[in-house]
Amino acid sequence: MIRDITIGQYYMVDSPIHSLDPRLKLIATFVYVICLFIINDVYTYAFSMLALAGIIAVSKVPLKFIMRGIKSIIVIIIFTAIINVLTTKGTHVLYELGWFTVTLEGVYMATKMVVRLIMLIVSSSLLTLTTTPIQLTDGIEYLLKPFQKIGVPSHEIAMMMTIALRFIPTLLDETDKIMKAQQARGADFETGGLMEKAKSLVPILVPLFISAFRRADELAMAMEARCYHGGDNRTRMNVMALQKNDYYAMAVICGFVVCLIIIMLVM
Amino acid sequence: MDFMVKANNLKYEYTRTFEADKETRTETFLALNDVNINIKKGSFVAILGHNGSGKSTFAKQINALITPTDGTLWVNGYDTKKEEFVWDIRQSAGMVFQNPDNQIVATIVEEDVAFGPENLGIESSQIRKRVDSVLEAVGMSAFKRQAPSKLSGGQKQRIAIAGVLAMKPKCIVLDEPTAMLDPEGRKDVMETITRLNKEEGITIVHITHYMDEAVKADNVIVIDNGIVVMEGTPKEIFVQVDKLKAYGLDVPQVTEVAYNLRKRGINIPADILTPEEMVGAICQLKLTI
Ligand SMILES: Nc1ncnc2c1ncn2[C@@H]1O[C@H](COP(=O)(O)OP(=O)(O)OP(=O)(O)O)[C@@H](O)[C@H]1O
Ligand SMILES: [Mg+2]
Repeated sequence: MIRDITIGQYYMVDSPIHSLDPRLKLIATFVYVICLFIINDVYTYAFSMLALAGIIAVSKVPLKFIMRGIKSIIVIIIFTAIINVLTTKGTHVLYELGWFTVTLEGVYMATKMVVRLIMLIVSSSLLTLTTTPIQLTDGIEYLLKPFQKIGVPSHEIAMMMTIALRFIPTLLDETDKIMKAQQARGADFETGGLMEKAKSLVPILVPLFISAFRRADELAMAMEARCYHGGDNRTRMNVMALQKNDYYAMAVICGFVVCLIIIMLVM
Repeated sequence: MDFMVKANNLKYEYTRTFEADKETRTETFLALNDVNINIKKGSFVAILGHNGSGKSTFAKQINALITPTDGTLWVNGYDTKKEEFVWDIRQSAGMVFQNPDNQIVATIVEEDVAFGPENLGIESSQIRKRVDSVLEAVGMSAFKRQAPSKLSGGQKQRIAIAGVLAMKPKCIVLDEPTAMLDPEGRKDVMETITRLNKEEGITIVHITHYMDEAVKADNVIVIDNGIVVMEGTPKEIFVQVDKLKAYGLDVPQVTEVAYNLRKRGINIPADILTPEEMVGAICQLKLTI
């Protein structure tokens, strides 16, 4: 059944990482990604990798799921590697390939970029693997709140994300229904070239869009009927509160950054 | 004031814009015409009428989603035309719509039920209490942490009712809440509504196309082309079979049977509304033969 697909890639398991405050996880991921762009020698790389491996172990998410994220961008990784190998100038020439020269520096640079990219993907997919979309939305809303003064619509962004998450299964169901209805009328979605396939999507997309607009209209009315008036003076049932574990996690994050700085200074 | 809803010469005009001969024209359409309706506090009122007769238009008025073009509508004593009362009106008169899918906002049942109270700015622990108690009241406590998309139509409609209840309304307006449900879901929803009316004293305004649901009401109002044409208890309304048919409405199945039996000269009461009454009447008949 089409509606059984999970949204995002949340991996349900009980772990200390899963139960952390989503705000903390968002900040931690952010800090880690910044660190990834600062580090540039073997030691700091090794240390960051070790830290990530430790968190993965604690999160109890199987490596298989984490690798999925990498698989989806394998093309980009290979492309990055090739570009770096071919374009980095250096003195230790390994190969001459017509116009291009492969240098030791190039290989070194490419390895660095690829490892950095992989760590980037792994750390951010770890966030979505251990946090439900709803928690993420709540976390983002909270963290964006300070930026409201400079015009970032934090509540609206969060509400849009919630509604999108809520309607994805509904619209998928509907797509399924429309496809079946069109097939019953003799529509063919399987055969034909790219152009024909694209054309055959029109009779699905048009009714889907019309229905989505109708739904949006009705939903807006239903929300208004329930006194919705934007984010002002709105309270929440679930208030996010930091637990003991969150404070430990904070200490770990600070410790990580401090160690990284020390390694950079010493080496 | 002991009226929950009081309409005084209520008129409502829709303005439609359309393109014809390469120019945009506007046209007005009178959807409600001089409507006078009084709904007592704590009563259960059913509104009937064929498609396009103006029922939904009236329902939206009660929630101040639209306001009268002319005339006045008071809801719980508040004039719906006065902007400052909008939130009081929407809090005291909740609304449940036809399509359960298009009125659920959140991705988790309890979060959706909390949506109304959250908008009212109620304190978090208080919301928690309300959510738990209203989910209990509609018999959906077991589904608290579920995703609404995994529920049946009837269950979703009960969640929508819970969402309205959590705002502690005095009145609930239901616009064809059972239209998209199977018989099982319809029964659940109807039981929930009647229980809320009897036990909690909540005023119910129930718009429906199902006559067997209208029978359960204290009062029935029939609207035809924006005009209130009949008003009275279910018994008073449904005996007028010919009149109802002229307005494009049906009567409950057993009432129709009784009507046809009477036509054939069988002496049976005309105001039979439920199968139980029918059984009683037929047994009486046997005794007199
Ligand atoms: N947004 C609108 N713009 C213009 N005309 C409208 C609009 N909404 C409704 N109408 C018209 O107003 C009339 C009453 O509509 P309303 O939706 O109140 O009917 P209803 O009794 O609820 O019908 P149904 O049983 O089909 O739900 C209809 O003739 C309809 O075409
Ligand atoms: Mg309607």
